[in-house]
Amino acid sequence: MNDIAQGVLDGVVAAGARAIRWLDDRDPRGADLVRRIFPATGRAQIVGVTGPPGAGKSTLTDMLVTELRSRDLRVGVIAVDPSSPFTGGAILGDRVRMARHALDPGVFIRSLGTRGQAGGLSRSTHDACLVLDAMGYDIVIVETVGVGQDEIDVVNLAHTTIIVGVPGLGDEVQAVKAGLMEAGEIFVINKADRDGYQATQRQYELMLHLREQAAVARDAGWSAPLLRAVATSGEGGKAIADAIFAHRAALEARDGFARRSGLREREQTLAILRERLIARALGAQGQAVLAEAEARRIDPYTAAGKLLAQIDGKDDLA
Amino acid sequence: MQEQPNRRLRVLLAKLGMDTHTVGVTIIGHALREAGMEVIFTGLKQTPEMVAAAAIQEDVDVVGISTLSAGHTRNLPKLARLLREQGGGDKLLLAGGVIPQEDQPLLQAAGVHKIFTMGADTRDIVQYLEQWWAEKQASEAA
Ligand code: B12
Ligand SMILES: Nc1nc2c(ncn2[C@@H]2O[C@H](COP(=O)(O)OP(=O)(O)OP(=O)(O)O)[C@@H](O)[C@H]2O)c(=O)[nH]1
Ligand SMILES: [Mg+2]
Repeated sequence: MNDIAQGVLDGVVAAGARAIRWLDDRDPRGADLVRRIFPATGRAQIVGVTGPPGAGKSTLTDMLVTELRSRDLRVGVIAVDPSSPFTGGAILGDRVRMARHALDPGVFIRSLGTRGQAGGLSRSTHDACLVLDAMGYDIVIVETVGVGQDEIDVVNLAHTTIIVGVPGLGDEVQAVKAGLMEAGEIFVINKADRDGYQATQRQYELMLHLREQAAVARDAGWSAPLLRAVATSGEGGKAIADAIFAHRAALEARDGFARRSGLREREQTLAILRERLIARALGAQGQAVLAEAEARRIDPYTAAGKLLAQIDGKDDLA
Repeated sequence: MQEQPNRRLRVLLAKLGMDTHTVGVTIIGHALREAGMEVIFTGLKQTPEMVAAAAIQEDVDVVGISTLSAGHTRNLPKLARLLREQGGGDKLLLAGGVIPQEDQPLLQAAGVHKIFTMGADTRDIVQYLEQWWAEKQASEAA
């Protein structure tokens, strides 16, 4: 299906949409598609937007899209919402908050369910970013599911991650535990129109100060700004957009932009390898070995060794 | 060796114009989610143009419109036409809500595949979609 790959390269919306569908559905045509479009990728800045449920991530994304469009940039959005672990179904509602961009040809919005993946993203999010990158979108915003403690896969995907907090959630301490404070490059306290803004701001300032001192940030040479926003009214959009570009410039000054893109491809390579190795190991008699483990007739180490032996003929425990 | 494909039915649910009756569309959304489908909400006050654009970007299989405040004889045929024009002619177009019997032939002729009105059992809706999806997949595999 070369015409889909060509369509992606030509920026055709329906082709890009279908390409993402293949990759999300693990359609066998997906791997070849990525092979074809990959040389055209690496240009877009991937911007993660993460934070607790209901913090205003979608509203903030909507505001950012408006701001970026006013600067004549083409914007892609990948909005991830959780799939039910029981039925696999999902209600994907993020785009409700972005409805005003529905008819803008410079904006492409796609909703994805997590489909069983932990970490706040779907397995296909990386691939969807590649498609939007190849289609020529300048910035791809990735909105994660509402995250709790450690669902921060987005920091491995994005060049720039925005952590969205809100006043009075009592989640500030949680955020530290979560490693969110270590990970982000831009901090935004949204719903600044609400009570408790100042107390929350002080807590964030303190934590960012500690972070600088401990130099835990993965990105020395960048001092993470703390910004305020009222996403429902558009307040703060300009400063956040400025910070996104400042971070890109800071990355590029130290060759970090390409390095981050590269690290992402390395992670993705390992993820694909893991899946394929497991698929191979479970081929042929794999299910029988799993059943033995499940019946507790053999221990998990022995079972895994037997499964590995299906790939290379030798049991690495032996 | 490839990973197993994991195809899931994707359904866009929308409301057009000034119609703010949300109960039916919310119930349908949850029923479809329980049936393992991915449901994309676009929200209220949509135009046919907005729904068509979202349906293409989301690459959904099904577009479902809930309409309880009239206007359906204008906006549903328009949506069906826009979908066809934009390469979404293979998507299943459903409608539900308050749609008088006498309007239904017109809508069906215009490209609305099936209409569910007041009191429709969500299990029948799920079953209808599952059957359509199974047939579609079978015809694609052939
Ligand atoms: C509750 C209600 C309201 C509530 C809505 C609250 C809310 N947030 O939803 C309030 C009080 C706000 C309201 C307001 C109005 N309402 Co009112 N309302 C109703 C009422 C009594 C019930 C609707 C309902 O929730 N039903 C329960 C749900 C579960 O049923 P349902 O939506 O029909 O959905 C089922 C099926 O239709 C189907 N379905 C629905 N959508 C979809 C979509 C898909 C894809 C599929 C597959 C299936 C499907 O599946 C569902 C399950 O069976 C109806 C009466 C009626 N008989 O429908 C009037 C009714 C719809 N309202 C009516 C009117 C006129 C109004 C007002 C204009 C009244 C006024 N003069 O102020 C305003 C307009 C609001 C607006 N801008 O749209 C009229 C519409 C007349 C018409 N279409 O010609 C009705 C029919 C009452 C009447 N007999 O006159 N209303
Ligand atoms: N007062 C106030 N409300 C806001 C602000 N930003 C967003 N909201 C409201 O907060 C609610 C949640 O906003 P969303 O943008 O859907 O939040 P989210 O983080 O995307 O939510 P999930 O994706 O479900 O985790 C909505 O009712 C918004 O209108 C703000 O700056 N001030
Ligand atoms: Mg959201």
